[in-house]
Amino acid sequence: MTPAWVLGQRALREAWRTPEALLPTLFIPLFFLVVNVGQAARIFPSKSTAFLHGQGYGAFQLPSSLLLAASFGSAALFLVEDIEGGYFDKLRATPIPRTAIVLGRLIAESVKGVLLATALVLLGLVFGITVASGVLGFVLLVCLAALWAVVFSGFMQLIALKTRSAAATNSAGLIFFPLLFLTPNFVPRNLLTRPMEIAATFNPVTYVMEALRSLILEDLVWSKILYGFGVAAVLGVVMLVLSVRLIRNYD
Amino acid sequence: MSDATHNGAAVQADGLVKHYAGKDVIEAVRGVDLRVEGGEVFGFLGPNGAGKSTTVKMLTTLLSITSGTAFVAGVDVARDPDEARRRMGVALQEAGLDPRQTGRELLVLQGRLFGMSPSEALTRAGELLALVELEDSADRRIKGYSGGMKRRLDLASALVHEPEVLFLDEPTTGLDPASRLTVWDELRRINNRGTTIFLTTQYLEEADQLCDRIAIIDGGLIVREGTPARLKAELRERRGLASDPTLDDVFLDATGRTRVAGDVQEVSA
Repeated sequence: MTPAWVLGQRALREAWRTPEALLPTLFIPLFFLVVNVGQAARIFPSKSTAFLHGQGYGAFQLPSSLLLAASFGSAALFLVEDIEGGYFDKLRATPIPRTAIVLGRLIAESVKGVLLATALVLLGLVFGITVASGVLGFVLLVCLAALWAVVFSGFMQLIALKTRSAAATNSAGLIFFPLLFLTPNFVPRNLLTRPMEIAATFNPVTYVMEALRSLILEDLVWSKILYGFGVAAVLGVVMLVLSVRLIRNYD
Repeated sequence: MSDATHNGAAVQADGLVKHYAGKDVIEAVRGVDLRVEGGEVFGFLGPNGAGKSTTVKMLTTLLSITSGTAFVAGVDVARDPDEARRRMGVALQEAGLDPRQTGRELLVLQGRLFGMSPSEALTRAGELLALVELEDSADRRIKGYSGGMKRRLDLASALVHEPEVLFLDEPTTGLDPASRLTVWDELRRINNRGTTIFLTTQYLEEADQLCDRIAIIDGGLIVREGTPARLKAELRERRGLASDPTLDDVFLDATGRTRVAGDVQEVSA
């Protein structure tokens, strides 16, 4: 674990020293939260909208912003920089397990994910959102958002390792946007049109979003929480296995 | 996994081949045999695209080997790459450095990746910064370093774990003459401490100044090998020249190119 942790610390230093890459991951999700709530809050008044469980529409939208914040994947662009600049070869010339090179950045992503999710949820609390599942729910909320950050970063690293191109990696990141909108983003799944409901059911992001939402709006609903963590964990393992395979055969 | 059959050789390659699969198979290296003795400075020369960097990348475990074998410090690089990595230092073309770290942080990180404790890595980083005369800039971010400083830091990072063999791919390309001389001095100092140096270069004067022996690769095959003096003498004798040719002449002769009115042109056989 030591080489992965050492590389993780390096990736965190890198993020800290590049605030221009870090700050948009906080402000853009906040921007979408404000805009979405501004556009739809009057359609869904908290008193008469059952799926809000007595909270404002901001509480319903917060999971989308958490997922968006966790899906920037800037770590993969730093990886492409390493590849293009030759530092990646420098790392490959050291006697560390190839997995450590992949895991290092993912460890850093998880730390960044925890900090970003905490900041977003705390901002939400300031504006009247409550986490209905309590302190444990808050911890689970932050952990699931951070786990998703790791999954998405793993996907982006995979693209970076395969293409070795910043442009291709950037474009691949845009895949998330259709996935984010093919979810019960504005209303619960049972209120979607049939085709959208089918699409959302097949979209893994839906289950992560529903788990996050349940933690904010309801008490600890373990069936939804475990589904969310399960989907993220399976995707995380798949990304990790593929990345490690790719880096082991990297020429 | 040390191999006693490579007794004394710091680097030994036999029938080294690299093919790149694709629409058409590209034969980048077509059967390279090399032997570099411990303590030597060995120069590996060749025109662009001749297979120099590909050979170095295979020897340094960064590229898979299509066929043939390669041993560095007695270790089979294909069968035991991690052990080979512990015994070699690598500084490739375009100093591979992380611009967002400071020089000291980069060296400490490198030490940690080679298994040192934080305090050992910090001490070693200090020693190396002194060796390459970068103590004053050690805590500045690398993105502010000059090309020469980056090269020297890259050299230092390749030496963190005191390797037996140091591979340098065009260590002075792009440097001004003063920086080049500084790097040469560093290399001599490193070699005097017993480290074998395997370097590629496009500067024949550099090879002449630094190398005990050289090999010239062209079209993926070694076309000349020996000491600079012996190669010059051989050409002088073969061509019946009145005076010793330069290493440039040896290179042009070996690679089938000729000098015409200041230009280098290929000779069609």
